[in-house]
Amino acid sequence: MEKAITKDLLKTELYSDGRPAGEMLYSRYGGMLYSYILQFVPESEAGTLLVDIFARLTPQLKEAFDSSLSVYCWLQIESRKIILEHLRSRGRLGAGANPGRGANVAATYFSLLEDAPPEHQWVFRELFLYGKSKEELALQSGRDLGYVSQLLRECLGMIRKNLG
Amino acid sequence: MNIELYLQSGVVESYALGLATPQEADEFEQLMPHYPELKEALRDFEYHLELFSIDNEVPPPAEVRNRIEDKLRELPAIPGARQWGTRRDRTDYVAAKETSQYIRVHKVWRTLFIAVFVLAKIFLILAIYYFIAYRHAIRK
Repeated sequence: MEKAITKDLLKTELYSDGRPAGEMLYSRYGGMLYSYILQFVPESEAGTLLVDIFARLTPQLKEAFDSSLSVYCWLQIESRKIILEHLRSRGRLGAGANPGRGANVAATYFSLLEDAPPEHQWVFRELFLYGKSKEELALQSGRDLGYVSQLLRECLGMIRKNLG
Repeated sequence: MNIELYLQSGVVESYALGLATPQEADEFEQLMPHYPELKEALRDFEYHLELFSIDNEVPPPAEVRNRIEDKLRELPAIPGARQWGTRRDRTDYVAAKETSQYIRVHKVWRTLFIAVFVLAKIFLILAIYYFIAYRHAIRK
């Protein structure tokens, strides 16, 4: 199993190893990001989105190095923005949409919530997969904002616990 | 500020997964330099998240690599980093940091070393022999 690498190590490798930046990023994170994308869209779209994500994010790598986040988390967050933008432009965000393999995939963040009550899973799905804000979700579902926040907090606690 | 309570609010996980609002993210970034616990919790979560993603990665279709390569060739190069798909020039070199404690030399040095070692031994024995012979001669 590969190990998680530090930002400094990646930065050193990227700028001194002489390997192309995109190639290094792809070898390191290609499979991980592809798996991440599959949570949102079906396989038929995931490849194209991965191409788009690498083409858009590779030139912005400096931002990743300047960020407080690890390179992988930065890539995930920026990828999610691109994916949600893609889904929004096709009118495929919102309840009833078919964002991808989502909760049916064993190896996704939803697998970390498989023991959670359905309401918790629903909150996480709406916020994470459909990009809704807590306020939007509370308003649309008629639930209290504090309650939605509490469910999300519990989901995040479960994710942390199940990650190890 | 009660940091334990703040950590329990799920702010670290929200921040790392991109679920934090801009206000929550700003607040977290401003607090991080003052509270090492926040940084430590973030590193720990990121580390486990990355390991989880490595364990569950799915290889992308083979043609995706070529398509990314084509796209990146059209973009301006990242300063200081090599562009994907460009051939290494003859004049280019990769800076290598020597970490080994050993050196490698030509095989001929082994023969030379043995010859020098044997000769040194012979001269030493001759020197001792002539020294003893000289002492005997002096006594007589």
